[in-house]
Amino acid sequence: MKGGDNLKKDFSKPKSWMLYSYLAPSVLLFVSFSIVPMAMAVYYSFFNWSGGPMKKFVGLNNYLLLIKDNTFWKSCLNNIFIASSCVVFQLGIAFIISALLCSKLLKFKEFHRAIIFFPVVLSAVVVGFLFRMIYSSDNGLLNFFLSNLGLSSFIQPWLDNPKIALIFVTVPIVWQWIGMYVVIYMTSIKSIPDEIYESCAIDGATGFRQAIYITFPMIMDTIKVSVVLAISGSMKIFEHIYVMTGGGPGTSTMVMAQYSYKSSFIMNKMGYGSTIAVGILCVSLSFILISQLLFERGKRRYE
Amino acid sequence: MNKKRGIIGKILNFLLTTVINVPVMLLTLFCMFPVVWMLYSSVKSEKEFALSIISFPKTFVIQNYTNAIKIGQMNICLSNSVKASILTVIIVLVLGFITGLIFGRYDFKFKKPLYIMFLSGMLIPVYSLLVPVFIEMKTLNLNDNIYAISLIYGACGLPLAIFLITSYVSAIPKEIEEAAIIDGASFNAIIFKIMMPICIPILGTVLILSFLNAWNEFPFALVLLGKNTKTIPIGLTYFTGMYSVKYTQLLAGLSIATLPVVIIYFVCYKKIIAGMVAGSVKG
Repeated sequence: MKGGDNLKKDFSKPKSWMLYSYLAPSVLLFVSFSIVPMAMAVYYSFFNWSGGPMKKFVGLNNYLLLIKDNTFWKSCLNNIFIASSCVVFQLGIAFIISALLCSKLLKFKEFHRAIIFFPVVLSAVVVGFLFRMIYSSDNGLLNFFLSNLGLSSFIQPWLDNPKIALIFVTVPIVWQWIGMYVVIYMTSIKSIPDEIYESCAIDGATGFRQAIYITFPMIMDTIKVSVVLAISGSMKIFEHIYVMTGGGPGTSTMVMAQYSYKSSFIMNKMGYGSTIAVGILCVSLSFILISQLLFERGKRRYE
Repeated sequence: MNKKRGIIGKILNFLLTTVINVPVMLLTLFCMFPVVWMLYSSVKSEKEFALSIISFPKTFVIQNYTNAIKIGQMNICLSNSVKASILTVIIVLVLGFITGLIFGRYDFKFKKPLYIMFLSGMLIPVYSLLVPVFIEMKTLNLNDNIYAISLIYGACGLPLAIFLITSYVSAIPKEIEEAAIIDGASFNAIIFKIMMPICIPILGTVLILSFLNAWNEFPFALVLLGKNTKTIPIGLTYFTGMYSVKYTQLLAGLSIATLPVVIIYFVCYKKIIAGMVAGSVKG
């Protein structure tokens, strides 16, 4: 048996140099535009450099600057705000919708699923512009609805008020990605065996209680994955902010990616911009790590 | 007694059905509304739009589109976006298929580290790569080049493509190509004549996803492309920066960027949803 397997293997296996030569183009492409640049970003972060021929080695100075940089920490906080709103609202709403979508009473399931997922494939730039128009002060949809509902007193310059701008740039971000989690949850809920629901229906648990006591714990692993996804996704937010506010007014809606872009390409501080980019990588990796650790702990307590 | 209970049960059931169906329907409509509003408002006349921003169009003003194309140079953007997206799709399909197939089918010494390297690509934030890629392309004199940017899009699209194709290929039973091997088929013949036709469904998914990603990509295009090579998302930012631009024209511009996405999505949304969910959960 074993010999036969070996024979087959030898027979079907092409020479390894052949495999490597077939792999070479993709490895080359990927390394030169992903791995090498990542290493270069770390390298540049040690220099004071504006993109020209003059490059001055400053050691860890950029990192010391970064630690003391208020704008960076402000944008980091904004990212955290967006991330926590995404975790609470995106995942929360998605859970409710997917529990409803899996209910037997719901009609047009496929239609709902297709429509709710649709914003995910939209260009973030288009979403940004669309919401900028929705919030716009002269012809905005939001103001139109408010004044028609007799709530004119609430009308504000939504994106120009530094106190509330962050909340209103978060709305489209939450809105756009709900569908992703709805579909992820639905797949997971569908894999729960029907017998469990049946036996708990016999025990008298229905509807809402089923969702809390059965669906929720049964898809806990999926929820963990979604939390990590939502956090890492919100660390990457850029286009929405770039299009809607550019980080303003002041730094009230600045996020890390926008700040890195601004420092590197608007203020031409390529070295410091790279430092921020490395900072983004560290911050987002550590958030993912923390969230995973917390889950591990919670799990242990639960057991 | 029994009959009465049946009626009450039916009423309860009906109420419950309404309670579940109506809010979900409203939510779904709310999800869709901004896009639908954008599409129908883009053919309204300026006057109509000013009168009521929410009413359906009574006229059909195609000039919004022609103006958007003229003022916003959307024709240039469109052709650039098409070029970049198609080239990206070709790169991702060819390289992704060969690489994914080898990872899914054969064992060799550096398989694991190479596979992990590709998958880690899904974790690297694009924004960390902006500066070095910009410098890299400038030194190679490839910035402001619509074909060169496809290389970057290709590199960014590879991890997902490889992941999807590898998992698809490893699920194909080995017996299929064994017959061909015994018949003496070459490596190339096995790859392209036997495996490729089997992989058509997943290649379709990869094609659509890489096209959408290239079409919507923003940050690299922003730092690398200039006036004549700008893609649609960049063109939109130029367009909105102009003071003379009217709302309806802007909506027409946004619609030009979105219509291909809408069409592709509703033709093959099942593939798109499955591919994106698989890619994001595993990534």
